[in-house]
Amino acid sequence: MKILLLGIVDAVVVWAGVGLGTQNAYALLSLLLLGGVGLNIAILSRRAYPLRYLLPSLLVLFGMVVYPILYNVYISFTNLQTGNLLQKSQVIHLLENRYAPAPEETIYAYQAYLSDKDELLLLLTDEQGQHFLSQGKTLEPLRPDDQRLVTQDGTTGLDVPGYHAVTGPALYQLLPRLETLAIPVDNATLRLSGIRQFKTVIKQYSYNPKTDRLVDLQTAISYAPVDGRFTSAAGKTIEPGFQTWVGARNFVRIFSSAAIGKDFLRVFLWTVVWAMLSVFLSFSLGLSFALLLNDRKLHFRLVYRTLLLVPYVMPVFISAFVWRGMFNENFGIFNRILGDLFHVQVPWLTNAMWARASLIMINVWLSFPYMMLISLGALQSIPDQLYEAARVDGAGAWRRFWSVTLPLLMISLAPLLIGSFAFAFNNFTLIYLVTAGRPAVLGAATPAGATDILISWTYRISFQGGSGNNYGLAAAISILIFVMIATISAIGFRMSRHLEEVYG
Amino acid sequence: MKKLLMLVLIIALAAVVGAAQTKLTIFADDTRTPLLRDLGAQFTADTGVEVDVVEYAWNDLRSAYVTSTQAGEGPDIVIGAHDWVGEYVANGLVEPIDLGKKVADFSPAALEAFTVNGALYGLPYASENLALVYDKDLVPTPPRTWDGLLAICRAVADPEKPMYGLAFQNQAGNFYQFFPFLSAAGGYIFGYDDKGALNPCDVGIATDGAIFGATLYQSMLKEDLIPSGVDWDTLNALVEGHNAAMYITGPWLIGAIKSAGVNYGITQIPAIKGPNGAYNVPKVFTGVQGFMVNSFSDNKTIAMDFLMNYVATMDTMVALMNLGDRAPAYLPAVTQAGPDILAFSQQAAFGVPMPSIPAMASIWQEGGNALDLINNGTDPATALKQAQDLILTAVDCK
Amino acid sequence: MARFAALLRRWGPIFLRRFPRHLLIWIIIAYALFPVLWIFSASVNPTSSLSQQKLIPDHITWDHYRTLFTDPNYPFATWLLNTLKISGITAVATVILCALSGYAFSRFRFTGRRVSLLALLLIQMFPQMLAIVAIFFILRMIGDYAPALGINTHLGLIMVYLGGAMGFNTYLMKGYFDTVPRSLEESAMVDGATPFQAFVRIMLPLVRPILAVIFIIQFITSYSEFILASVLLRGSEQLTLSVGLRFFTEQAFERRWGPFAAGAIIGGASFLLIFLPLQRFIVSGLTRGSVKE
Repeated sequence: MKILLLGIVDAVVVWAGVGLGTQNAYALLSLLLLGGVGLNIAILSRRAYPLRYLLPSLLVLFGMVVYPILYNVYISFTNLQTGNLLQKSQVIHLLENRYAPAPEETIYAYQAYLSDKDELLLLLTDEQGQHFLSQGKTLEPLRPDDQRLVTQDGTTGLDVPGYHAVTGPALYQLLPRLETLAIPVDNATLRLSGIRQFKTVIKQYSYNPKTDRLVDLQTAISYAPVDGRFTSAAGKTIEPGFQTWVGARNFVRIFSSAAIGKDFLRVFLWTVVWAMLSVFLSFSLGLSFALLLNDRKLHFRLVYRTLLLVPYVMPVFISAFVWRGMFNENFGIFNRILGDLFHVQVPWLTNAMWARASLIMINVWLSFPYMMLISLGALQSIPDQLYEAARVDGAGAWRRFWSVTLPLLMISLAPLLIGSFAFAFNNFTLIYLVTAGRPAVLGAATPAGATDILISWTYRISFQGGSGNNYGLAAAISILIFVMIATISAIGFRMSRHLEEVYG
Repeated sequence: MKKLLMLVLIIALAAVVGAAQTKLTIFADDTRTPLLRDLGAQFTADTGVEVDVVEYAWNDLRSAYVTSTQAGEGPDIVIGAHDWVGEYVANGLVEPIDLGKKVADFSPAALEAFTVNGALYGLPYASENLALVYDKDLVPTPPRTWDGLLAICRAVADPEKPMYGLAFQNQAGNFYQFFPFLSAAGGYIFGYDDKGALNPCDVGIATDGAIFGATLYQSMLKEDLIPSGVDWDTLNALVEGHNAAMYITGPWLIGAIKSAGVNYGITQIPAIKGPNGAYNVPKVFTGVQGFMVNSFSDNKTIAMDFLMNYVATMDTMVALMNLGDRAPAYLPAVTQAGPDILAFSQQAAFGVPMPSIPAMASIWQEGGNALDLINNGTDPATALKQAQDLILTAVDCK
Repeated sequence: MARFAALLRRWGPIFLRRFPRHLLIWIIIAYALFPVLWIFSASVNPTSSLSQQKLIPDHITWDHYRTLFTDPNYPFATWLLNTLKISGITAVATVILCALSGYAFSRFRFTGRRVSLLALLLIQMFPQMLAIVAIFFILRMIGDYAPALGINTHLGLIMVYLGGAMGFNTYLMKGYFDTVPRSLEESAMVDGATPFQAFVRIMLPLVRPILAVIFIIQFITSYSEFILASVLLRGSEQLTLSVGLRFFTEQAFERRWGPFAAGAIIGGASFLLIFLPLQRFIVSGLTRGSVKE
């Protein structure tokens, strides 16, 4: 029975795969194949039994996480940026459809006719009243006494069996098709120009796929694709450019840039400090409250726990907005109170050090409920006998915490803390919403503010500076950031496994 | 079972491939979407073509258009600001528009803003710029020179109340609002090359004139005549509390000013006396908004028909003008403009369209950082020179 | 009088011992809730900007709440329902997928198990700045063949969220499964159950706490997310709460602080309500699993 179903699914996969393949949808095709092959292995092979459980997750993971990463890696080796955004085929399509006004512009009024089999017939009339017939590919002059012409109420139309005139709303439906027509006429091309007329225009470029050259039809200059742009022998380029492979250029640029090197250390240090302080402070606060709330004899425990979870429940971007408002130097509530009581204004977000402190305060506010949650959970897992034994040995409360509670907590929580560290390391959203990396730093060689972390700095370099958006550069920097954080985390995981061996 | 599967797949495919009715898709911001939907309904009634207006927040619109078009899912028409056109043209995302005889109906400055390399890429409908908005109760006669403005500020300002002489959005990064100070005595953004196009390697934000203006600004900050760290929300708070005598702001604040009951007047920004003794009215950035056509659209003819015959009409242009309270780019509609719009237009004569070339991104970034530094007390010359250096490096001019 | 003194003598010391704790707790609660109280105050305050408002408003107005539900351009109720639907489905799907894979990692010994678990965790650390473009592309492609899953569909967004939910949640599940002794499943299998039946009938009920915790965490993560949602969803009827509220603030020149605050309060309150009944699972939830007993 299982085999029958598998057979059917396989058939569908193959059929769909062929469909996708003919349409060049390679990414989807690979995903489909992966799923199909995986399913077969999972069901047929005894040894691959676990795959049945893992397959759905793996598919989602591949599609939504691994693929973007692979795409990111691919982009980092290209020059995807403003001016080189489109694919080569898209640019060729654009350039081949570029038309300049003809020196002697002739305007033709037209009437469209459609047959039942959807074949097109056009009656074109130039300014002199001369009629032409066209099926979309050529222009055939009609003699005034041609049988097919019919004059009615002063307007001349076509009377061809099997064809009916297209007017009104139906004409509008036909327009996209008419737009694609390019009828050669003398030395020019006839194209749709407005709802009711065709106009002669000059086609500007022609692309030869065999030689991979774009030729300017007026000047006969040939353009070759160089570095993502069609370039003539004399160096003249045509806009727009297109995305193309540039190898390791983005990486070389990063490593050889004195400007990036100068700011890197400062930004990196702040990123690490930011992540560590955020995790350490929020964990300390969360743990303290977990300990406090763990006492079964404490009244209102449930109420406290719910109230303390509120910061975690509010959507980040609302909280960030409100905190930013409260920290406003002149009008924020904190400075208003401080001003009234102590006559002092703290430059919460405009001074480098204070801005960093403010960000940490906000992040602790946002994260300590989560830390409290996981600490509460972990505390449950420590057996009471250990505490008893410690008490019998004469250990005081603090000693008990330090030698019994904390090490056991660390075993369970260390991987999660590392995860939180990585999350804070990459927490673009919060930095961007509250300070956007500012305040600016004098002497910076790149747009790196005092509160910029690596990822917000990447955003500023790639998307808010230079000449527009530089996706290739951003992708390359992202990879380097990933290498950094993955290394730090992997080391952290290793160390936490050692903890387990010591205390577990 | 198998048949059912087949059936489902066939239906799914048919839904994709089948009847693709001609449809006009427009990306618009939420302010203009209702108007466009009504206009679209009219268009559908007249021509049978369905009009689908997709709504985005204004700040998302620019990149949403790029991402969608790149992926082949772009609209036929998009509303946008003229400074997006540089990026769009560089990426080949918009189509030149031929207004035919209607060209004469539009303000040349607005058309110029949407022109790149000699081709027009948008149908403009509104333009906006900063001007001086003052509280008539506190400032009976608006100052014509900056000295006059300073005198008023000093008389009126009282940080305790708080009361400020002049307020504008000078939060970190807001270079757009800071520009008037730089431009008055000779600062500029990009110079022109010999072909008349903008030259990204000729940056003028650190000229002596610019430094003069920035120093003037900083001294006013230090004297507490101008509040620091004012963002949009804070500006509204100042208006609501009647906490400033004068504002340098655009038409967007008028709604709040009216709600707060301020007896307001609008005039051009007072002339600043530069280091060479000449008086110059500070130049402001003009922003023009318009409709653009997607170069990958399959319905360009229909899109142009919609724009020329339904959008570029007196009724629509007047409606757009009233919706956004902006000066219309469509000249016949100016006759119906209210006094506020006309007053803002006074300053528009001293306006400079925001450069739309991609290098402008660096100007916003580094100019904003320079403002940040100046707000925090850094010497303006140092801050502006650093910004200029970084801009030139970022656009590969060094 | 004497009775009062006796009461004081009896309860006084206990009160003194307890009081500092409660005081400390209330101080931190103030820290936790102050911004939220601020938002609540804004939602009933007639003022229009954050900077101008006072903590205790001059008079209460419910206009902002009214605007939220009556303004046709901002279908707040629809946004809330969309968010609940998307976050709910994402959270449930996450729980199912992670339970399956967590179980596999815990119970089955296969080559590459350790490595793939580590890889799973590390993969989530990739800065997803460019992911938006990639995800847009892949969703568009999928949408061409299965319109229900493309751009601007809720199912598509759910799929994207699921992708990001796999890593850590699987690890948590695995840890928790590790603490359940195998003997239970083994005896079930001796009695003739397939491994899958043992999984569903025996294991899942035992690990309810971690299921609840992962549901909550994923639910909260999903409704807070707005960057991907703002790119992938279009048109006001499709939006989630976070993206819709963003309309209010991102609209550069409008003053809608009041309705924005009201929306935040309603959103937060509804999530809190969902969250309350699941609270009791949290105590024995999360990381109990990593400790091998």
